[in-house]
Amino acid sequence: MTTVLSAEGLVKRFGDLVAVNGVSFAIEEGETFGLLGPNGAGKTTSISMAAGLLEPDGGAIHVAGTPIRTNSTAGKASIGLVPQELAIYPDLTATENLRFFGKLYGMAGDGLAIRVEEVLEVIGLGDRKDDLTKEFSGGMKRRLNIGIGLLHSPQLLILDEPTVGVDPQSRNAILEAVENLSGQGMAVLYTTHYMEEAERLCDRVAIIDEGAIKAEGTRRELVALVGQRDRVRVSATGDLARAASVAAAMHSVFEASPSDLGLEVLVAEASSILPELLSQVAANGATITGVEVFEPNLEAVFLHLTGKALRD
Amino acid sequence: MGAAARIASKDLKLRIRDRSAFIIGIFAPLALAFIFNVVFGGAFSADLELEYGLVDLDGGDVAQAFDEILTEIESDGLFTLSRFDSPAEAEAAIEADEIAAFFLLEEGLSDAVIEGENADLSVVGDIDAQTSTQIAASIAEQFGAGVSSTQLAVITAFALIDGPPPEESAAWGQEAAARGASYSLVDVSAETRQLDGTTYFAAGMAVFFLFFTVQFGVVGLLEEERDGTLARLLAAPISRTSIVGGKALLSFALGVISMTVLVVATQLLMGADWGPPAGVFLLIVTGVLSAVAIMGLVASVARTPDGAGNLGAIIAVTLGLLGGVFFPVGQGDDFLSKLSYLTPHAWFMRGLGDLSGGAEWTAAIPAAAAIMVFALVFGVTAWVLLKRRLNR
Repeated sequence: MTTVLSAEGLVKRFGDLVAVNGVSFAIEEGETFGLLGPNGAGKTTSISMAAGLLEPDGGAIHVAGTPIRTNSTAGKASIGLVPQELAIYPDLTATENLRFFGKLYGMAGDGLAIRVEEVLEVIGLGDRKDDLTKEFSGGMKRRLNIGIGLLHSPQLLILDEPTVGVDPQSRNAILEAVENLSGQGMAVLYTTHYMEEAERLCDRVAIIDEGAIKAEGTRRELVALVGQRDRVRVSATGDLARAASVAAAMHSVFEASPSDLGLEVLVAEASSILPELLSQVAANGATITGVEVFEPNLEAVFLHLTGKALRD
Repeated sequence: MGAAARIASKDLKLRIRDRSAFIIGIFAPLALAFIFNVVFGGAFSADLELEYGLVDLDGGDVAQAFDEILTEIESDGLFTLSRFDSPAEAEAAIEADEIAAFFLLEEGLSDAVIEGENADLSVVGDIDAQTSTQIAASIAEQFGAGVSSTQLAVITAFALIDGPPPEESAAWGQEAAARGASYSLVDVSAETRQLDGTTYFAAGMAVFFLFFTVQFGVVGLLEEERDGTLARLLAAPISRTSIVGGKALLSFALGVISMTVLVVATQLLMGADWGPPAGVFLLIVTGVLSAVAIMGLVASVARTPDGAGNLGAIIAVTLGLLGGVFFPVGQGDDFLSKLSYLTPHAWFMRGLGDLSGGAEWTAAIPAAAAIMVFALVFGVTAWVLLKRRLNR
């Protein structure tokens, strides 16, 4: 795997306020990396430095091996930026918006025209491409906002809370589009304060608070940091006490007990033990009618690491 | 096409779509120039029809030299000159509104000058035509300076037929006499080459609204900041110089287009006479550059587009008033007249005045050079501050 973005010891001060203090992370090709933290945690400041909008007071950023500086254009063509605020021109059409920014990235002629059409289809605005964007709904504007970032096929796409203020339908469309990007080999840096989005999209997550990264890893690695376990709820009838006793004796099962609806089982990792667990329960006097798995979430991890909830 | 040109092109498209540039850059100045011309144009033009008299009681060499100079200026069409045998006849002509002022060459004037003695050259004017009288006094002063700075004093007085109390006339005369020579005879003739009323108001409104028109470009940077699109521009692989340059380029293009359209429109629709095209173009280009520079400085210190708009309007109106775009500034006030040259507007109007009356296009060069000083001083300052704003 190739490292697309590396941030090392980033520091940014605004007067006496240290907004970012020693932030380091790296993103590989085809990986979606999340910065998860509440408002004011330093997410936007960090990605502003990564995109070359802000000059770090300390540390360094490299994208595709090129140092990123505010006063240099080097490396910036490798980056696509989707700012948190809508960054489109309302008195231009969707096509005109895309063409303008495409030209700024050195695209031209047929190549630009073809790519504009491709992106319009990807973001679902092909049938509205010649309408002024001021006539678009909020969700359509958000999709165009993302489309502009994608237009020049960057190696790294930076999305700063792209679903803030978006209706559920558009939000889902945006998340699906982002999910597809990593499959195309694009590295994605995604900031959010929505735990669900980080869990759904990100291969790895850095939990950031008060300008510093508190922990980093896959969701499972982060959960392991705080010792959380998966909970399996088996809806069943029959001899539940016997089934619970058998389940409790299994390897990787920490606890199993009957409940009103069936069995409650605590395991290290549900996906690896679930087939055997269900087989043993069914073979020992219980009739299974349903299964639900509850994995520990990042909200709990964040609470454990920072002592506060994500939406504080 | 460079990034700056692409940004300017995009902004031009936006301005064309919202029509604001048309309204501020063309329709408003054209309409106001038309209204001013209809309301004030006749009176303005009448004031500029200079008619003077000459009473030569001396008849000597110095008087003859002065007569020749007046005749030469008259032949340029700058004023008409009537000759009278006595001051009483000339005063009667003033009373009849046939002339605005007359030059009185007293008997013995030439002998006194030749023998190195002090002598007086008097200008007697209509109290109701102070501007015309002042111009006459200026001509006389320049002649006096050419003869000798100490021997020939110019005394200005008013014909007191219906005039003010004697002490007021005397004070005005003393002030006029005390005024030092500040230009040569050639410049005196240029001073008298005033714009006609139609051209004056057309040019005044054009340069006044120019400062609003160019705001659409440079203030666009603040609008990009407000609307979030500046982040995309800053993240793109283009230099920050291109971003500022694109905005300045749009301002310049809007200014030149607006001024050019106004020149052509006022010439065709109102009969304005701007002068030699090359000279007018030189003044337009330098005038637009100075407007871009000053409004760029406004954009660099303002926090929001609205703030820049308000501050820009205050500055545009102040400079316009001081620069004499609505009415001539300081014709009877030396301080105001000098102060007005602290504005590019005054130099622009001065440049057009220099071009009028059949002058070559090169007559605009001094005024254009003065306007460029404004462009350079304010432009460099604005450029540095705007770049610093982007390089946070």
